[in-house]
Amino acid sequence: MTGKRLRVFALLAISLVFLLAWAFPVLWSVLNSLKTDRDALAYPPKLIFTPTWEAYHDVLFGSASILPNLVSSMVISVGTTVVTMLMAIPAAYALARLRFRGKKFAGFYVLATQMLPPVGIIIPYFLVLRNIGWIDTYQGIILIYLSFSLPFAIWLLVSYFEDIPFEMEEAAYLDGASRLRTLWRIIIPQVRGGIAVTVVFVFLNAWNEFLFAVVLSGNTVRPVTVAMFNFVSVEQTLWAKLAAVSVLAMLPVVVLGVVAQKHIVKGLTVGAVKGGGRR
Amino acid sequence: MTQAATTTARDFGRVLAQRERRFAAALLAPAFLALMATTTFPLFFLIWTSAFRMDLAMPFTNGFVGFENYSVLLADERFWTSLVVSLVYTVSTVVLQVVIGLALALLVMDMKRGQGLFRLIAILPVVLSPAVVGMIWRTFMLAPEFGIVDFLAINAGLGSKNWLGDPLLAMISVIVIHTWQWTPFAFMVLLASLASLPEDIYEAARLDRATAWQRFRRITLPLLRPAIVMVIIMRTMVALTAFAAIFTVTGGGPGTATEILNLYAYRKSFTELSIGYGSALAVALLIVTILISAILFAMRRAK
Repeated sequence: MTGKRLRVFALLAISLVFLLAWAFPVLWSVLNSLKTDRDALAYPPKLIFTPTWEAYHDVLFGSASILPNLVSSMVISVGTTVVTMLMAIPAAYALARLRFRGKKFAGFYVLATQMLPPVGIIIPYFLVLRNIGWIDTYQGIILIYLSFSLPFAIWLLVSYFEDIPFEMEEAAYLDGASRLRTLWRIIIPQVRGGIAVTVVFVFLNAWNEFLFAVVLSGNTVRPVTVAMFNFVSVEQTLWAKLAAVSVLAMLPVVVLGVVAQKHIVKGLTVGAVKGGGRR
Repeated sequence: MTQAATTTARDFGRVLAQRERRFAAALLAPAFLALMATTTFPLFFLIWTSAFRMDLAMPFTNGFVGFENYSVLLADERFWTSLVVSLVYTVSTVVLQVVIGLALALLVMDMKRGQGLFRLIAILPVVLSPAVVGMIWRTFMLAPEFGIVDFLAINAGLGSKNWLGDPLLAMISVIVIHTWQWTPFAFMVLLASLASLPEDIYEAARLDRATAWQRFRRITLPLLRPAIVMVIIMRTMVALTAFAAIFTVTGGGPGTATEILNLYAYRKSFTELSIGYGSALAVALLIVTILISAILFAMRRAK
């Protein structure tokens, strides 16, 4: 009996250690963002302190405000999401529901595009965008983000489209509705949930992207993931401010992640059953 | 009479099929044009630029060089080092993720309470930007004295370490950071497939007095195999092209200690501005990726 109790206790301890390990870096950033720079630098690290919004106030409204960068991140992510969904919904519907020659190959092609390493995409694109003056522009970044958001969105949506019963479409055709009308009026409302989940993940991936952003951003368009570098330098790190920026950069994705909690496994493994995956 | 009827029916069917094809083409066109423009076109352009000397800092030396970049690459020690770093980084992070993720999934599966808490906390790391994760670890976790890891090391009597300045420690650090962020992914996927396993097989095994280890080895592991292989494939692809979480933490340093092939191609192209040679490195990375995925997919098919 004591042996069993000991085992239960050990397992409980292990699980607590892992929970803490996963939550700690995030919680610790939140705590540090509420400190003054002096409290943040204290040694040993302070767990008890008087919380203050000072760091947030500074990074949002101070001289080196990251507000424009948050706006950049938002415009890029929303823009990518809108363009991706407009292209991915029709494509996914065709791949899931229609009969045409080369369908298998088309599906394979979408998966294969994810094999290309991002650095292999950004080198040629940098040259092209430099030539047409699209470096440091929203259209340049959003265009290149389609390279990863489209395959992902198409496959995730296909899995939702496949779940709708065929009878619904047939009934609509028999009533004389056109194909486009059927898609818009009958099918799309059926996959509203799937579309919402896809929107969440596309937004999340666009918000988190870094490699393309660091190459293509400049003084006009610089997302927050790139801009946070300004708070760390060899001479001096602005600890509380860095923590505040990190928390602001994490906030939207953590909220979305918790909201889409039930769908996260599906979102993370999409396409994997049929082939590759990315991020 | 009947023949005429079937002919029209067949014609009608053909017209319908043709309409369906046209409709499909119209629906697919925008997405496929965008995909070709953003993935297929860059691939060919990349192979093309890899045949040039293209130095943005010294444009007067630029020109077609054929396969020269590739012969330079084969003799480039930094390339082989980065390939080894890539393989060490990939294999160690993937193995750690799968082993820890599976162990935790088995543990949590048996929990009567608290499963929800685990699922919730596990979401935190995977939704974060690797760039932000890297930044938090570099500062609040690993900075000498100030960082929590160093604080714990000092209190454990190990003394303050230069976590990101020492080649070996830096490599361990970037491996730990990647494992920290992505183990929850393996955990969540494996927990989900554990939950979908049929209960009655375990019932039968229990009646046969199989030990816990036997049950794991003979029932759980074979049933989980597809999920495990899928996790391995997905995580390998990601680890091979990891970028932000190394770039923000060590930048590939100290020296080239944590410079995976992906990062080398980036540094060559955008820090040293040798776009042509950087392209050749990116092509090499693509070849490595294809080779490794071919092996992994063969593994998936094998029983």
